[in-house]
This record gives sequence, structure tokens and C-alpha cells, in this order.
Amino acid sequence: MCESCGCGIDHERQTTRTIDVYESLLAANTKQAGENRRSFETLGAVAVNMISGPGAGKTTLLEHTIEHLGNELRLGVIEGDIETERDAARIRKKGAPVVQITTGGACHLDARLVHKGLHRLRHESGMDRFDLIFIENVGNLVCPATFDLGEHQRVVLVSVPEGSDKPAKYPKAFLSSQRFLITKTDLLPHFDFSIDEARREALKLNPAIRITELSATAGGQGFEDWLLYLRQLLRTAAAA
Amino acid sequence: MHEFSLAQGLFTQLFRLAEQHRAEKIIIVRVEIGQFAGIVIDSFSFAFEILARERKLTREAVLEITEIKPLCGCLDCGHTVPADDSVPAVCAQCGSSRLTLSAADDLILTQVEME
Ligand SMILES: Nc1nc2c(ncn2[C@@H]2O[C@H](COP(=O)(O)OP(=O)(O)OP(=O)(O)O)[C@@H](O)[C@H]2O)c(=O)[nH]1
Ligand SMILES: [Mg+2]
Ligand SMILES: [Zn+2]
Ligand SMILES: [Zn+2]
Ligand SMILES: [Zn+2]
Repeated sequence: MCESCGCGIDHERQTTRTIDVYESLLAANTKQAGENRRSFETLGAVAVNMISGPGAGKTTLLEHTIEHLGNELRLGVIEGDIETERDAARIRKKGAPVVQITTGGACHLDARLVHKGLHRLRHESGMDRFDLIFIENVGNLVCPATFDLGEHQRVVLVSVPEGSDKPAKYPKAFLSSQRFLITKTDLLPHFDFSIDEARREALKLNPAIRITELSATAGGQGFEDWLLYLRQLLRTAAAA
Repeated sequence: MHEFSLAQGLFTQLFRLAEQHRAEKIIIVRVEIGQFAGIVIDSFSFAFEILARERKLTREAVLEITEIKPLCGCLDCGHTVPADDSVPAVCAQCGSSRLTLSAADDLILTQVEME
């Protein structure tokens, strides 16, 4: 109670204070991501986060990758989707251990969901060593770019039917990725996709990004380059 | 969509700060949002308004957002330029190609005014 004016307000406690905080609101995710990275490394695995708009061909590329590397390497897949187990079922058919995380409406995976997914992957597969763990993010070229999942490599995919303006329109995904895959190149004759524009815009944003053009369904040099890149990742990790 | 969950994280922070400083009312909340944080400012503000109404503590709180642009800095002479759409190949001042980009990809709670 204020004695001097009788206003009923305790002026002592009610004075306005300015509190300096300067704390990142993404920090909780970043911290969990760091823990995930250590968990992946404890398992001996290199983790690859696959980001693209819906339908760019992430699951198809993983299916073909498992066909080619499944006998040679211990692979695991964490599938992120808003709903349904469809993508996990497709991967399971190819014989790789897989868990499906459904985000229940959220448009991206975050580090906590991946932490849970990794636990399930270990339990359900009974494996405690992996060479490569793929994380297929929710089909969305915007939101997943904000969330570090603890991956070692981030790969962004744009398919030929989507158009070559995607790097310029969705810069964050390209700024934060190490690899850019232009997918479904078997469809180039049917679309006005400019490989040159896509490359130019991506490199303008991120001069260090490496670009591979490939078709998962038709195979060929680009797909071989992708497999080579994955093998090299393992060699680099083993040397580190 | 994730703007909403990020705003929820902000309120968790605000409740903690209010308790710690024995505040009864939060008046102004200042945040910095990087241009490449992947956060839609309008959606974030909208989520803030919805969540603020839920509690007496934050009912009158005002959100002030500063948008942070990435800067391209020269490692040789220190010259910096804004890098909104593209990164220059060489420094405009000294011609060096040793440039770094500040990411501008975070969401930071900088200051809270409370009483
Ligand atoms: N022509 C052609 N079609 C492809 C290729 N890769 C994928 N597709 C087709 O593109 C469609 C979508 O492929 P998915 O692999 O399901 O794409 P996704 O990125 O996993 O999709 P979401 O998980 O829903 O975001 C399917 O009909 C595939 O058969 C390719 O290299 N060439
Ligand atoms: Mg898929
Ligand atoms: Zn755990
Ligand atoms: Zn979103
Ligand atoms: Zn310079």
C-alpha cells in the first residue's frame, strides 16, 4: 500500500525494470542437437539430414541408396513426416532399419524428436553400430532449415519439376547445407528447369556448397557421384 | 507453424524471468530475429498475441522485433557491408577475397521490461 497517495499500489515493487537477457530461443534445440551429434558418433555413424520441398524425391533416393550400399554399410533411417508411416514402410521393404517420427502437425523435425527417434532406432534394430544414418525431414523447404538436428551433413534437394528458382526463393536451406542435389534429371527434357540458374543462385548464396545432378530412378553418373560422396563422408569421419 | 512453438518457448522464458524478478506485469518484450532464422515475423507476432492473452502477467505485453540482417565482413581490412541477397566476391574497399558472412539465423530474447 502506498502511504503517500493511498492509491493502493505498492510503488516500491511496481517500478518498471528493464532486464537484459540476450538468450537465444533456439538454444534449447541447439543444445539437444549437440547431444544428438555425440550420440551419432558413439554409434560410429555419420548423420545426414535430407531437406526438400514435398515430393522432391528424398525417399526414392534413399530406397536406391539402400539397394546399392545396403550390403556394404550399416545404414539406418529416421523418417520424419507430419502423418502416416508410408515412407518408413517403403524403406523397410528395402531392408534397412527405420523408424518413423510423426510430428503431429509440425512442419519440421527438431532435435528432441530426432533424439527420441534415435533411441527407437537402436532398440528396434538391436544394432549398436551404424555407418550412416539418414534423417528424412518433413517435406518443406522452409522450416527444417532453422533446426539443427545434430547431423554432420545437410543435403538439400530440388527436383526438376519444381523449377530452378528454388535456391533464390528459399535461401536458408541452401545457406545451411553442404550438398545440393538437383534430382529427377531424367525429366529435364520435359521442363524448363535451368541447371545453370539453379547452380548459379545456390553458389551465390553459399560458395562452398557442392552440387550434384542426379536421377534416382534412371541411375547414371550423378547417382554414382552421390554414392561416392557418401563413401567419402565415412572415410573422412574415420580419419577424424 | 513452428513460429507458434518458438513463441511458446519465449513465454516459458518470460514466466521464469518474471518469477525470478518478482514482476507482476510484463510490459515490453524485445527480440532480435535474424533474416535467415527462417521465422515469419507476422506469424511470430500473431502467436505472441494469442499466447500473451492467456495470462494476466503478459496480457498487456508488447512485442518489439528488431530484424537483423546478415553482414559480410572482410577478414583483411574489417570493412563490412549488408549481405541481404548476395555475397560480394571481393571486398569493395581492399579487393580481398577473404570474406566472412555473419549468419543472422538466430532468434534472441534481448530485453524485457517488467513491473
Ligand atoms: N522421373 C523421376 N521421378 C522420381 C525420381 N525420384 C522420385 N521420383 C518420383 O517423385 C515422386 C515423389 O518421390 P518421393 O521419393 O516420395 O519424394 P519425397 O521427397 O520423399 O516426398 P515427401 O516425403 O512426401 O516430401 C514419386 O512418384 C517418385 O516416383 C527420379 O529420379 N525421376
Ligand atoms: Mg518421403
Ligand atoms: Zn536419450
Ligand atoms: Zn513452419
Ligand atoms: Zn577488405
